[in-house]
Amino acid sequence: MRNNAESANRIELMQGTLDMLIMRTLVLGPAHGHEIAKHIQRTTDDVLQVEHGSLYPALHRLERKGWVTAKWEMPKDRKREFKYYRLTPAGKKQLATERSKWRLLVASIGRVMGPVEEG
Amino acid sequence: MKLLRRVESWLPWRRRRAREADLERELRDHLDLEAEEQRDAGLSSEEAKYAAQRALGNAVRIKEDVRMAWGFQWLETLLQDVRFDLRQLRRNPGFTAVVVFTLALGIGANTAIFTLIDAVMMRMLPIAHPEELMQVQYGGQDWSGEGANFTNPLWEQVRDRQDVFSVAFAWGTDKFDLAQGGAVHLANGIWVSGDFFNTLWLRPAAGRLISAADDQRGCSAVAVLSYGFWRYHYGEAASAIGSTLSLNSHPFEVIGVAPIGFFGMNVGEKFDVAVPICAAAIFDGKEGRLDGRSWWWLRIAGRIKPGISRAQATARLNALSPAIFAASLPQDWSADGKRNFMKHTLVSAPAANGLSDLHRQFERPLEVLMAVVGLVLLIACANIAGLMLARAAARRREIAVRQALGASRRRLVRQLLTECVLLSSAGALLGILFARWGAALLVRYISTTRTAIFLDLSLDGRILGFTATIAALTCVLFGLLPALRSTRVSLNSALKGGQALEGERPGRVRAHKWIVASQVALSLVLLVAAGLLLRSFAKLATLDLGFDRNNVLLVGANLKTAKVPPERQIATFEEIETRLSALPGVVAIGRSVITPISGGGWNEWIRTDWSKGLTGHDALSWFNCVSPGYFKTLRLPLLAGRNFSSEDTKTSAAVAIVNQALARRFFPALNPIGKTFRIDDIGGKPGPPIQVVGVVKDAKYESVREDADPTAFLPATQVPGMFEAETLELRTATPPSALISLIETAVAGVNKEIPLEFHTLAEQVDDSLVQERSLAVLSAFFGGLALLLAMVGLYGALSYMVTQRQTEFGIRMALGAEAGSIIRLVMWEVAVILTGGIVAGVLISLAATRVLEKLLFGLGARNPETLAGAVALLSAVAAIAGCLPARRATRVDPMMTLRHE
Repeated sequence: MRNNAESANRIELMQGTLDMLIMRTLVLGPAHGHEIAKHIQRTTDDVLQVEHGSLYPALHRLERKGWVTAKWEMPKDRKREFKYYRLTPAGKKQLATERSKWRLLVASIGRVMGPVEEG
Repeated sequence: MKLLRRVESWLPWRRRRAREADLERELRDHLDLEAEEQRDAGLSSEEAKYAAQRALGNAVRIKEDVRMAWGFQWLETLLQDVRFDLRQLRRNPGFTAVVVFTLALGIGANTAIFTLIDAVMMRMLPIAHPEELMQVQYGGQDWSGEGANFTNPLWEQVRDRQDVFSVAFAWGTDKFDLAQGGAVHLANGIWVSGDFFNTLWLRPAAGRLISAADDQRGCSAVAVLSYGFWRYHYGEAASAIGSTLSLNSHPFEVIGVAPIGFFGMNVGEKFDVAVPICAAAIFDGKEGRLDGRSWWWLRIAGRIKPGISRAQATARLNALSPAIFAASLPQDWSADGKRNFMKHTLVSAPAANGLSDLHRQFERPLEVLMAVVGLVLLIACANIAGLMLARAAARRREIAVRQALGASRRRLVRQLLTECVLLSSAGALLGILFARWGAALLVRYISTTRTAIFLDLSLDGRILGFTATIAALTCVLFGLLPALRSTRVSLNSALKGGQALEGERPGRVRAHKWIVASQVALSLVLLVAAGLLLRSFAKLATLDLGFDRNNVLLVGANLKTAKVPPERQIATFEEIETRLSALPGVVAIGRSVITPISGGGWNEWIRTDWSKGLTGHDALSWFNCVSPGYFKTLRLPLLAGRNFSSEDTKTSAAVAIVNQALARRFFPALNPIGKTFRIDDIGGKPGPPIQVVGVVKDAKYESVREDADPTAFLPATQVPGMFEAETLELRTATPPSALISLIETAVAGVNKEIPLEFHTLAEQVDDSLVQERSLAVLSAFFGGLALLLAMVGLYGALSYMVTQRQTEFGIRMALGAEAGSIIRLVMWEVAVILTGGIVAGVLISLAATRVLEKLLFGLGARNPETLAGAVALLSAVAAIAGCLPARRATRVDPMMTLRHE
């Protein structure tokens, strides 16, 4: 178990942000659920707490909206099929809008919060 | 419940099963990969497995969330909700019963009225391609309308000359006496042209139908029965075909039976027997309807040829009109009359819904009733909304717990709405039952002793659609607001179980107050409408008719059917009169051709030396032919001059008794006794002088609503052969019904074949007011229902308020408040709600009751007394409804409340 101090440094994901992160990950190429989870964890240096389980409802939701597609494929280095997700053109467009919205949000919040005064 | 589970078990259909397997595999892959990674990091395989599971989270929950993302979760959720709600409703049988019953009443009333509207105005005739049917009518103003009748010569001209219908047909309704003498047994007859059944594409249920060959001059007497008549009188026996049926004492051969479900062309009536038009000769003798150019008894319709529009048909009929009217011109008319006759044109009008006099008569009343029951349903919905709010308050903790456990507000609202749908569906189903019963009852209620109204009230798609729509609407009305409100719970306080939730109370109580105030407003509108209609009916019913309607038995006798020769008719009637006057219990007896308020009339243009300026309608006078005993029997006082006597004979000078209105108009400011007037004959020429010998008091003639119009009475002896049917009026000391068999025997002593028709004068007057009476009674009933519902609503809202403010009242009383001041507090609430509702209700009433204007008699739609009366009644009942909760408020035990806090 992680201790409390460690989890204090972790941030709960905001609603909808997970979708954006997943799509951003898939820009790099098709990936299966576990890879996506690991990638998000790695790139955020474990700051963002992505409960692996919450990934799947999000993936299926994205699939239903037509932003990603899924297919069972066998990776080269394995003898087993995994369910690979890839971004559709519609998904790319969606990601672009989400990203610009996100930038606006971050910038606005940043202006309100002002420069961080160091202790 | 079991069924629901089974449905649910079918639900995971193939696609879903594949998806489930897919998801299972995907999650397993994830766990395997994660465990692999953990093993690589040095954990034992057992530990790695657990770590992977921890990292993934609750697998069941994940699957549930994924299924939600798939989108067909809604169905599963719905079934879950239905199951849950059914359980809830079963656990609260009282609540469920009240709601379902209230809804069933409201929805049932609406469906019943709509069923009537559907039957009278919307239903298509039960024949193939009714939309092709077009009716021929007169163009222009004076003869237009669907009631327009044609003469047989006109029909024959239209039939032979028209080229817009593939086939044209004609029909006319009549009543035939099935009995041979004695009390009449009337059947609804229909005269049909040879192509009638054929054009409507009807097939016989037995035997054959009337065809073109049956409708030729000099035809034999054949008849086709309706299916209902065949079933009722012959038990559907095949032997009926070929048997003989007596119609007005003429033998007719039954040749066949019309198909089941075919009632005729007129909505509101059903035919029993159809006979060919040519058979009129059998009834009439030489000078009859077939060649009568002033005898209007047929209606004309046809199936329009394919590709011809209504406008084209009308244009074509218009073009043919001069030739048609020229060929059927009544030769005995005056030059003016002939010119007028020739001015007429023919047009076509859709006839797919059949024809109906009911349409005109009941359109407005039905619309008013529809509005009334709509308002009742609204009030009922408000009541249920109040109940739901109160119940939601009781379930607050349950809802809070469910929200705390993670149920979303949307999910809860959906579940609560599902509950509403269940309730309103149950209400609608029960409502349809009520409606079927109610609509039949209504039809029986608007039927009179003499005109039985028959309507096809079977369920059709339109009725079911209507019911479904209003059920859905009610659901939104009573369900949405409470569902939204009750799920807006402050979890903290709700879970703590505090009784007075300061944060929420005002809002919820306010919503409740609004609901009740609008109920008060709506029920006030209904009370005002009911008050207006009741007072209007009361005025009509108690109006001084000029004669005394009570204890008068009317005995209609037809000598023509009994084949009494014209020269013997007067003597026969006199003999009957003498015999009946000797019966025990008969106080007075008279005879007349027309009876008052029968709907029938006879009028003529008259002129006197002082009425030169009068033209058109103003120069018309009603006429009646009476025996000397008539005035005494009806208690119509003779104000001046003398009554008719045996001295007034066929050969003596023509005399008349007139009423005050005639005297005023035609003999202004003169003593009419001894003066003369003349009747303009059909050519517009004045007839021989008729001397006025008496003046009687004004009395209503045709309808209760009219003013007493000029009326002239002629002695029956001086208008011989004009009428073969007369009515005997008997004023009786005993209840008239007891006399009927005695009268039958007495008349049979004169002539066994005379058909007799019995009813009372009071009945006849009542029947003429059937529309007003039914409307008044129904609106009073619904007004009362609305009042009751509103008061139950008020009571409920106040009780709820009192419960909510228990603590406050307790504290007040602990601090020394008197019971009176607590009651004042509660009654203040009543006053606020009532004032708001009444102000709104008065405004709506003033605007809305204007539609009643045309239906009212003797008072305006903005009648202040009625308005004041309704407000007073509502306030009084509201005060009573408010008293009980107010008293309850004073019984709060201060100690209990304080301890609780």
